[in-house]
Amino acid sequence: MKFTGLVTLFLVSAISCNPSLASADSVQIRTINTADTVSLDTSLYLPKKVPAPAILIAHGFGGSKDSVAQDAKYFVDKGFVVLTWTARGFGKSTGQISMNAPTGEVADTKALISYLALNKNVVQDKSGDPRVGIMGSSYGGANSLMTASADPRIDAVVADITWNDLQNDLFPQSAQGVATPGPFKKVWAGTFFSAVSLQSAYLGECGTFTQAWCDAYTHAAINGAPSKDEEKLLSSVSPKNYVQSITAPTLLSQGQADSLFPLNESVNTAKAIEKAHPQLPLALIWHAGGHDGGADQGDYLREQYLQWFKKNLLKEKIDFPAFQFTKTNGSISLQDSTVIPKIFSSKQLPTDSAVKQLQLVTPTVALSYPIGGIPSAISALPGIGSAGALVSRVASSIAGFSPALLPGQSGLLESAPLKEPISVVGPSSIKVRVTSTTGDATLFFSLVTKSPSGAISQPNGIVAPVRLTNIPQTGTEVTINLPSAILDASVGDVLAVAISSTDQGYDLPKPSRFYSVSALSPLSYTSSDATAARSGSANLIWPIAALITLILAAIYVRVRRPKIAPSHENSTALVEVENLGKVYKDGYRAVSDLSFSVERGQVVGLLGPNGAGKTTTLRMLMGLIFPTEGSIFIDGKPVFPGSPALANLGSFVEGPGFLPHLSGRENLSLYWRSIGREGEQYLDEVVAITKLGTALDKKVRSYSQGMRQRLAIAQAMLGMPDLLVLDEPTNGLDPQQIAEMRQVLKDYAATGRTVIISSHLLAEVQQTCSHVVLMHRGQLISFGPMKKLLAKNRKANNLEEIFLELIGDDLVIGKEKK
Amino acid sequence: MSYSASKTLPYKVELYRQLKRKRTAFAYAFVLSLPVLVAIAVKFGPSGNSGGPTRLGSGTTDLIGLATIGAANFTTTMLYFATPFLLVTVIALFNGDTVASEASWSTLRYLLASPVPRTRLLIQKMKVSLTLSAIAVLIMPISAWIVGTIAFGTKPLQTPLGATFTNSVALSRIAIMTGYLAISLLFVAGLAFYLSVRTDAPLGAVGVAVGISILLNILDAITALGSIREWLPVHYAFSWFDALATTIDWSVMIRGASFCFISGTILYALAINRFAHKDITS
Repeated sequence: MKFTGLVTLFLVSAISCNPSLASADSVQIRTINTADTVSLDTSLYLPKKVPAPAILIAHGFGGSKDSVAQDAKYFVDKGFVVLTWTARGFGKSTGQISMNAPTGEVADTKALISYLALNKNVVQDKSGDPRVGIMGSSYGGANSLMTASADPRIDAVVADITWNDLQNDLFPQSAQGVATPGPFKKVWAGTFFSAVSLQSAYLGECGTFTQAWCDAYTHAAINGAPSKDEEKLLSSVSPKNYVQSITAPTLLSQGQADSLFPLNESVNTAKAIEKAHPQLPLALIWHAGGHDGGADQGDYLREQYLQWFKKNLLKEKIDFPAFQFTKTNGSISLQDSTVIPKIFSSKQLPTDSAVKQLQLVTPTVALSYPIGGIPSAISALPGIGSAGALVSRVASSIAGFSPALLPGQSGLLESAPLKEPISVVGPSSIKVRVTSTTGDATLFFSLVTKSPSGAISQPNGIVAPVRLTNIPQTGTEVTINLPSAILDASVGDVLAVAISSTDQGYDLPKPSRFYSVSALSPLSYTSSDATAARSGSANLIWPIAALITLILAAIYVRVRRPKIAPSHENSTALVEVENLGKVYKDGYRAVSDLSFSVERGQVVGLLGPNGAGKTTTLRMLMGLIFPTEGSIFIDGKPVFPGSPALANLGSFVEGPGFLPHLSGRENLSLYWRSIGREGEQYLDEVVAITKLGTALDKKVRSYSQGMRQRLAIAQAMLGMPDLLVLDEPTNGLDPQQIAEMRQVLKDYAATGRTVIISSHLLAEVQQTCSHVVLMHRGQLISFGPMKKLLAKNRKANNLEEIFLELIGDDLVIGKEKK
Repeated sequence: MSYSASKTLPYKVELYRQLKRKRTAFAYAFVLSLPVLVAIAVKFGPSGNSGGPTRLGSGTTDLIGLATIGAANFTTTMLYFATPFLLVTVIALFNGDTVASEASWSTLRYLLASPVPRTRLLIQKMKVSLTLSAIAVLIMPISAWIVGTIAFGTKPLQTPLGATFTNSVALSRIAIMTGYLAISLLFVAGLAFYLSVRTDAPLGAVGVAVGISILLNILDAITALGSIREWLPVHYAFSWFDALATTIDWSVMIRGASFCFISGTILYALAINRFAHKDITS
């Protein structure tokens, strides 16, 4: 509806602006008289750039030009002129339906080509011969094949889900060389017919069918078999008899879920074209759709058709595979149990594939046929698809039962369990002897797989019907063309020819009878050496992308590494802090312009109240925090995360850190093994300091605060590093432990090593340190030897008073110093 | 004392540190419990053993109905059960907890100051958590196969598509599926690892990683999003299912595996970059 509105809009704008405006994207709706009594409702779609090659899109049975509007829009967007029309007898077009008769619909299409030959928007090969392709599905597909056979002006053909031999579709006979028509495909024929008669009920039971076709249907429906005249009529609209004269490259596409026009139709058309013109470009697609429904592959098909037209109308260099097919047994969606189609392609048509043989082990099956064929097996139904399964194949997990193969009325000619997997792609056949107690037989053959559990899979519920008459007592020998199929059998499966005496979709005989079917030959089948179509380059692109990502990620990580300051070669101090500053991301300035240096053997106290920036400074010294200004050097080497300079540093900052689920000893041992150093670890000395005794083998989780604290200091001392950095080491220790700790640190410094201690307990530091760094609000207040500091400030006699003196009244709470 | 950055935090040491954790044992027990519980439920449950395989299209996902056929089917079903949540959670735990838990124990600053170079610390942690994750992914099918053999015996693998595989073929298919599953979990692993670097709360990192994974799964279930979903890493979580076809079409699995690898790699790179520039305040 929306589209009609759009069309109208385009039309109005086209007329009001400039009807001959060539470059406008527009649709011209016109009624074209193609015969005395026939005028067709057409739409001509013009692309942005003209002149361009044209594509004729024929619609399906019961449809109109609007049903292909979406396709038209697609191809016009791709730069083609598109002409759609409503076939005679449908929609707004006048005339009567004659099923693509050469003098009927085909003549109409030829007239449309003549119309395009006069249109300056269409590229002309020569005068009166436009560059034109034709495509269509089903009824429209037959129109493309028939028109392409009759009109050499056509340059490319696409025919989808259409017939080769209409008689063989309505009265399918799958026995080779048997002239008797097969059983009447009554359900499908009825559906076909009612599409016309129900659509316009006031026209009577014939609808817009010509009298000949209406009579033929009525007669066939009553008799279940065509008369000689009807056979002639069916033959007159069957591409089988015309496609020999096709000279345009032809793409045949056929659906697997199609019990009306099964895959074999495309095989027969392909064979006929190939035989007449072996050099003619010919391609075949077996998709997952069809008249029974199946999986929707519209986007994929449209893309393929576009490629075909680009190759053959625009002469683009495109490598188009001769044969593409879709497997529907590759994967199913776990979300909604629908089939995820997988596309394969091959350079070889299935008609050219080598025929392989498989020995069957079941000699004979016996079947009964009930009166009137009730109950009937259900293989496939129009529009519903294969019965009883959401996936497009009849698979039964209940051993031996399938709605397509009723007990007693069906049998399997089985192979032995397979030793090698077999993939069937294309037609297959078998020679059998059939006996019947009534002298005639109507049988339905199919190729199935049976898994070891007994589950039977019949691809898409497609059967090959056979009707034999005048069968002698001893039986008659016939070769059966089994349905073309795409089927995979794995190791352990059985490949079998299934035979059923009934099928819901067909006209069946009345009297009951018994049949026997014996295999006289191995099963002949074809396979394809196809590869998944999306493989090749697409399969390579992704792993290559993955590899490139890996390389780029490695480069990115390297390039983005933090910058490192150059070393201080001629420095004598162990620790040098130069103009250090830190502003956190939230804007808080923790340290500013801090400079001091520490010589070997000193015990330096980093002093200041809480929040003075002591811990931030120590963390920067340990390479944990990035300074925003200035830098730190240990032994002349710059400090940064992972700097080798840090290897000479043992640290204890803001409390202990251990794996709570391990013992103290394991923690020390793992820490030592983690820090990647060789040499003496002084474990015994260090452990002695902790005074943990037997508690060392208990889990750290059970330790008291003091125990953890001592273990952490021991960890800092492991390996006796040259520089020991301790942040508030006496927090949580009792007075006796504090005294001991003081001694430990003095002893440590006595070996020529250096200790930096931060504390807010000034009195305590006074007793331990040789040098002092006094900090307040992130700034250095005083720095120097303890003795000098104490001596300089005569008035005060301890560090605490000196500190208070130095910072003035700034410590008074609530009073800010400018 | 000689120091060499390449000797810091050796793989074995980090592996030992992680293996000693109860969390690791719990996670593995969690993975092991699934096949056991399902086997018990199916064997001794109310409808015990009567069910048999469900028919196609009967509403339930067919793989589950086929679980009791034998060890191979049971294993495949367990992989199906474990894919969306169980393995995602376990992998998120191993990768999301690894750095954040060090931060929460305060051990991180001592390792870094010792010094273990930051990138090396992350790479060593990544190797170990990926090892632990791979073990979890392997435990799943192996335990399921053993439990399945005990409970249902070894019968050929029957797929919901009607194909049947002998045990040797089935084993190779399960190996393919497991391998794919392992690669496809790299996205969650990378995500959890990145979050682990960003936070000091281990469970936060794990929870958010699982949460994002669930969110993406919900988005993936919205069919209206169409082909956008092909760009969600979780979209390919079940693509190992393609290995159940008679002839395997690798295209989706290759795309899925590459895509998960790419997204995982990007997240790991972001994690390393982030960590390299981070102020360690934990």
